[in-house]
Amino acid sequence: MSLLANHYVLPCFLAAILFLPATRSPAEDWGQWRGPTGDGISRETNWTSEWPPSGPPVVWRASVGTGFSTVAISQGWLFTMGNADNVDTVVCLDVETGAQRWKHSYDSPLDARFFDGGPTATPTVDGDTVYTLGRQGQLFCLSAGSGQIKWSKNVQEETGARIPGWGFGGSPVVQDDMLLLNVGDAGAAFKKTTGELIWKTGDGQAGYTTPLLHTVSGKTTMFLASGKFYSSVDTATGEVSWQHRWLTQFGANGADPILAGGYLFISSGYNRGCALLELTEADPRVVWSNKEMQNQFSSCVLIDGFLYGIDGDTDAARALKCMELTTGEVKWSVDGLGSGSLIAAGRRLIILSEEGELVVARAVPSAFEELARCQVLDGRCWTMPVLANGRIYCRSADGDVVCVNVCERN
Amino acid sequence: MSLNRRDFVKAATATGLTMTAAPWVHASAKAKVYRTALIGTGWWGMNILREALAAGNCKPVALADVDQDTLDVAAEQINDLSGTMPNRYQDVRDLLAKEKIDIAIIATPDHWHALNAIAAVEAGAHVFLEKPTGHTILESRATLNAARAADSVVQVGLHRRIGPHYVSGMKFLKEGNVGDIGMVRMFVLGGGGREAPTANSQPPEGMDWDMYCGPAPIRPFNSRIHPGGFRHFLDFANGTLGDWGVHWLDQVLWWTDEKFPRKVYSTGGRPVRGAAVLNDKEQTTDAPDHQVATYEFESFTATWEHRKFARNNAEKHSIGCYFYGTKGTFHMGWRDGWTFYPTDSKKPIVHQDAQLQDPDGHNLKLLWADFLSSIENKTKPVCDVESGHLSTNLSLLGMLSYKLGRSIKWDGDGERIVGDEAANKLLRREYREPWKYPV
Repeated sequence: MSLLANHYVLPCFLAAILFLPATRSPAEDWGQWRGPTGDGISRETNWTSEWPPSGPPVVWRASVGTGFSTVAISQGWLFTMGNADNVDTVVCLDVETGAQRWKHSYDSPLDARFFDGGPTATPTVDGDTVYTLGRQGQLFCLSAGSGQIKWSKNVQEETGARIPGWGFGGSPVVQDDMLLLNVGDAGAAFKKTTGELIWKTGDGQAGYTTPLLHTVSGKTTMFLASGKFYSSVDTATGEVSWQHRWLTQFGANGADPILAGGYLFISSGYNRGCALLELTEADPRVVWSNKEMQNQFSSCVLIDGFLYGIDGDTDAARALKCMELTTGEVKWSVDGLGSGSLIAAGRRLIILSEEGELVVARAVPSAFEELARCQVLDGRCWTMPVLANGRIYCRSADGDVVCVNVCERN
Repeated sequence: MSLNRRDFVKAATATGLTMTAAPWVHASAKAKVYRTALIGTGWWGMNILREALAAGNCKPVALADVDQDTLDVAAEQINDLSGTMPNRYQDVRDLLAKEKIDIAIIATPDHWHALNAIAAVEAGAHVFLEKPTGHTILESRATLNAARAADSVVQVGLHRRIGPHYVSGMKFLKEGNVGDIGMVRMFVLGGGGREAPTANSQPPEGMDWDMYCGPAPIRPFNSRIHPGGFRHFLDFANGTLGDWGVHWLDQVLWWTDEKFPRKVYSTGGRPVRGAAVLNDKEQTTDAPDHQVATYEFESFTATWEHRKFARNNAEKHSIGCYFYGTKGTFHMGWRDGWTFYPTDSKKPIVHQDAQLQDPDGHNLKLLWADFLSSIENKTKPVCDVESGHLSTNLSLLGMLSYKLGRSIKWDGDGERIVGDEAANKLLRREYREPWKYPV
């Protein structure tokens, strides 16, 4: 198995190294939640969904503890986190072997109320540094090479913001010299080199989305959800330019917004529904809203004007749906994936079903067209899979991580 | 009082007939329209209210919740579903003073059940009361007495008395297919481990935490408690026995002709979760991580067992009751339906699948229909407050023995513990001012 695996892997790795400086590389790193462009879409093309009957070769498996962090992949290293015995552990693994390079642990309750518990944010890699956020607000700046602490803060203590019901769940985002977090009413910014608080917003309960950045002529705007609002924030000052009321049961706004030109798609479960907002000079205008795409925590991807995502709460009927962005019209709907999650690459959806099946399907509005399917994990899987450098990484709530090789042989 | 209620119904019906766009009018031209209030607008309360709206003749006029966001979310959802924006109240007393209601749904944490139910029936409403009927036994008794005095229909949310597979399973049991039954074992088994404390924090903005605590002692807010975590804090509920236990104890009382046990003993603790923590900085839950209770009836013994570690990979079932009879073992389950395992291995296993509604596998639609039918026909509902009270008592007696640390003899007719004054003191609790323990 390992010989076969290595045989498959090497060309992609060489490709990754060779093409690293290029702007449109066929293989690329995935150093943060929702990938390099923050939209859940990989630009990687050199991967295959033509798998042997037994599925793509498993390169390695590892166990990282309970939680819902997905992996961040950078320069041959994987970063993720999990909880065991009320201790959170950030791990750095070798993407080749799954062997552990370093780990960093700190006390944190599992806090398994209504789910399996453990960390829900994903590490963010920025050059030689990795940032992690625990549910109780434990923010760490670690050396990506050694795991040594460069600095650490508790963001709840720094900002005085309330801890949301399920703890802080949005992943850190780096912009220039700032680290942006979904903490408080509309986020907070810290100096990425020192952890010093730059600005904060009101002390209300944050939502669980990761800040989504958009830069136009030098001005960067951040979109994020609290428990009650979607906000647009000037990241230079922390000034809130608008707030759109989006009150969801339990404050559970968990799926990331999607930016499309001058429009923002937002969605939540718990019967809240979804909406397309037109971004104007003043408050956004609701283009349409309906209840056909309720993303409880797993976000949609947008491809060629169509959204693909999981509709429905964990305790109710769920379906993978394709929805037209401009109209909110559902093009197709398919059951059987549970509360799975997905990304996309090259007009193909990469879906990890709730029960641990890895499924590839065409991202087309005409019909659900499945290209490949195989069981890769057991147990509950709610965490987004990741494609990087010809490999797909999947993770279960129990903390089993599997790396499979989907590198296309040239 | 009942005259008043009928007047409200008439008035509401007359209004309803002119509002042809309102969905609750379409159900039936002659149907009454019940002015309905929901007290406690969280997840479960909204599940009940959705069934009420689906029934077609309930108009959602008012909501009460101590958390303004929870209240607003609920109101918006109801407006989406029904076209009616209900009036919102953070203080239930204001709701009952200002609104004329026919039906109150009560789905608060347990420690508020009795006070709200009593106030609602005294205001002339029929009540759909989430189980248990009280947090202590004398609260539950006061709820029953108030319901009878007001001549209100009170349906307790024990939907396992009406769900199709429970009904057919109970018929199978009562027809003697299991033979002579000498023992019943109730159980809920799950996984888990040590519990580390979570930091206290400010309550969510817009939440009246003092009102949430209500008659219970005040303590720092912690996200473990709200939303939805109160069941594992004994000030607000009674742990797994006070939650799941009531459902399965209710099955036992449904099956037997006896009304109560004569002796109860319970033990348990937190050896796996660890000692409970409650201080200015942090908290854990404080309900037992495992508990065993024994109920000695005249003609059989019933046991309860819950465990929040190890899961149950050794047996087929993780939840329900086993009825052990001379002809075999009958398992009344939840999502796994019911199954009879005959003693004679040559005989076939008999099984029936569950027929449940989502979310969370309930049968509220049937229970709500029965509630309305009882109001209309002036009959006792299937989960009448008296049977809900008796089932609640069993769970509370188990908790009482657990807290007391010794077995108790129960005089079910007098609702007193025989020869143990310390135990009788636990039939009630001290209330925090200004709340008065109901009598």
